[in-house]
Amino acid sequence: MSEPLPTTSAIINFSEKLEDDSSKLYETLAQKFTQNKELFAGFAQEGKKNRTLIVRTYQETITDALEACFTFKGFKLENYGAQRTMPEGTGYSDALKIAVQLEEKACKFYLDAAECGKSLLATIPRAFQKVADTRNKRRLKLMSLLDSAK
Amino acid sequence: MPILEEPIKEPFKVRNYIGGEWVESKGEIVDIINPATGKVIGKVPISTREEIEAAAKAAQEAFPDWRRTPPLARARCMLRLKELMEQQFEELSRIQTMEHGKTIDESRGETRRGIENVEVAAGIPSLMMGYNLEDIASGIDEYLIRQPLGVFGIIGPFNFPFMVPLWFIPYALATGNCIIVKPSSEDPISQVKIAEMAEEAGIPAGVYNVVNGGRTVVSGMLENRGIKGICFVGSTPVGHDVVYRKCGETGKRVIAQCGAKNFLLVMPDADLPGTIATCMTSFFGNAGQRCLAGANLLVVGEGLSESEHNAFYKKIVDVFVDTASKIRVGYGLDESVQMGPLRDKSKKDTVTKFIEKGVEEGAKLRLDGRKVKLIGDWPHSCFLNPTVFEDATPDMTIGKEEIFGPVAAIMRAKNFDEAIEIIHASRFGNAASIFTQNGKLAREFQYRVECGNIGINVGIVAPMAFFPFSGMKDSFFGVLHGQGQEAIRFFTESKVVIQRWF
Repeated sequence: MSEPLPTTSAIINFSEKLEDDSSKLYETLAQKFTQNKELFAGFAQEGKKNRTLIVRTYQETITDALEACFTFKGFKLENYGAQRTMPEGTGYSDALKIAVQLEEKACKFYLDAAECGKSLLATIPRAFQKVADTRNKRRLKLMSLLDSAK
Repeated sequence: MPILEEPIKEPFKVRNYIGGEWVESKGEIVDIINPATGKVIGKVPISTREEIEAAAKAAQEAFPDWRRTPPLARARCMLRLKELMEQQFEELSRIQTMEHGKTIDESRGETRRGIENVEVAAGIPSLMMGYNLEDIASGIDEYLIRQPLGVFGIIGPFNFPFMVPLWFIPYALATGNCIIVKPSSEDPISQVKIAEMAEEAGIPAGVYNVVNGGRTVVSGMLENRGIKGICFVGSTPVGHDVVYRKCGETGKRVIAQCGAKNFLLVMPDADLPGTIATCMTSFFGNAGQRCLAGANLLVVGEGLSESEHNAFYKKIVDVFVDTASKIRVGYGLDESVQMGPLRDKSKKDTVTKFIEKGVEEGAKLRLDGRKVKLIGDWPHSCFLNPTVFEDATPDMTIGKEEIFGPVAAIMRAKNFDEAIEIIHASRFGNAASIFTQNGKLAREFQYRVECGNIGINVGIVAPMAFFPFSGMKDSFFGVLHGQGQEAIRFFTESKVVIQRWF
């Protein structure tokens, strides 16, 4: 049998869950580490916008004539797994490390999806690229916080 | 992978929508079955002659007021309808998967294509404009106006239960006509949902009617002198021998979009990975149940020696078979699935007979879809896996008859000219595609091939809503086509006025 989860629908579903989980993670961080409350709350809000962008772009451009079931051949979602929850008692630095790893994986996921999705209408890879850029900026910000915390 | 939540929890009771009321039918009630799970998901009536006549009467009575409704107001109804469809996008898509069997990606694609027709029709104040010229003679002006005709019947097929009726519905309504929709009785729920939204969008009682059923409803539409035209999408025998003929007898306008046997040419310079990915969707998307599906793959040896052609053919066949063998078949609400079931068991049986016939007539069965392998534990009754024949010929049954299932017949053509001859020998003329990097050859293909929809490195030549869905030979009967400007012309009469003021 072929490699699992190659449909566009599965990719979009993964993206939705990734954004939802990320937003929840940052909501937790905002509550727990009040020194960066606004920043983390902003990331949580941004996740909701990312989700809306991806789903809307997909729904507005998917057509029955595109190779939606075959576009992401070989794409392995298990390659983009990362911790998405914060265990009780996690300290500030460890929390930032978890967030940085999540952003790294998320960024890689969106960049790879943008590359694979090039045969779909241009708006789909463009949306993936945009979210990849957003999450990369987030990663850089988190890394600078981590450096400061050392 | 988990199954997406099913929007239909209890069997859905389909009713008719006549004169703005949801009414019970006096006809026989039959089950609507989810072909993947085998479960009954609804009940649909097979309506009576009296019921289609009641709908025709209601539509005729509603016509004068609707016709007088300003085009801008009718356009706003279309915009509201679009908005409701967007809000219910996911539910509408999942319903299609449940009632038809296609994958969720395919259903969402169908939903989008349907909505796009509503969007285009919302431009009716511009689309319906006529034209004028002053001073055609001294002090005399001439102008053309477009007027609606009255009531139209729209007969939908089972393979695109949401989208295909929308090739006609929004244009008919926006131009000021009234309609009676007869969805396929196999999967009518999508059309009920659209009618519910049309009601909510403010389309007045009697303008939009839905009568469920079968032959009795179709005959009632065709024989009713008050119905001015019919839009039909379905098989060639019914489209030609029943719909087209009867419309001629009763003086109705007609769009009859019918069967197909589509050829895809692969030239030696084609981009192979792109071509094969496109072919998978073309041949096996919607489980092959679409009039734009690829049926025959012609591997063309243009400019190659015999041995080179053989090597090229073998390479194509091997990659095609290998890729097709990996297609994941199962319930379309499982997002890992790439192909769903046939719509019902009888359709599976028909396709199975074609496969048997192919073997009998000497084609080489490289991939046997009768050996069903599924993702998930579903009854096998409606499922087939992709089937691939090589060394098929155009005169074999599998090479010339419409199979309407996931079966690919791979053939050879010595050169481009022979490939064109093979296409022209088919009685159908719906679609044909060429895969090449050679622009001159592609232009030649587009110029010469007698098919209504031409693909150049495109496997499913599905016209966008602002272009007509074309077709030739036994694939189309009529003059004007569905979608876009041609639909506007179909649903309107051109009236010419010449005026002078003394």
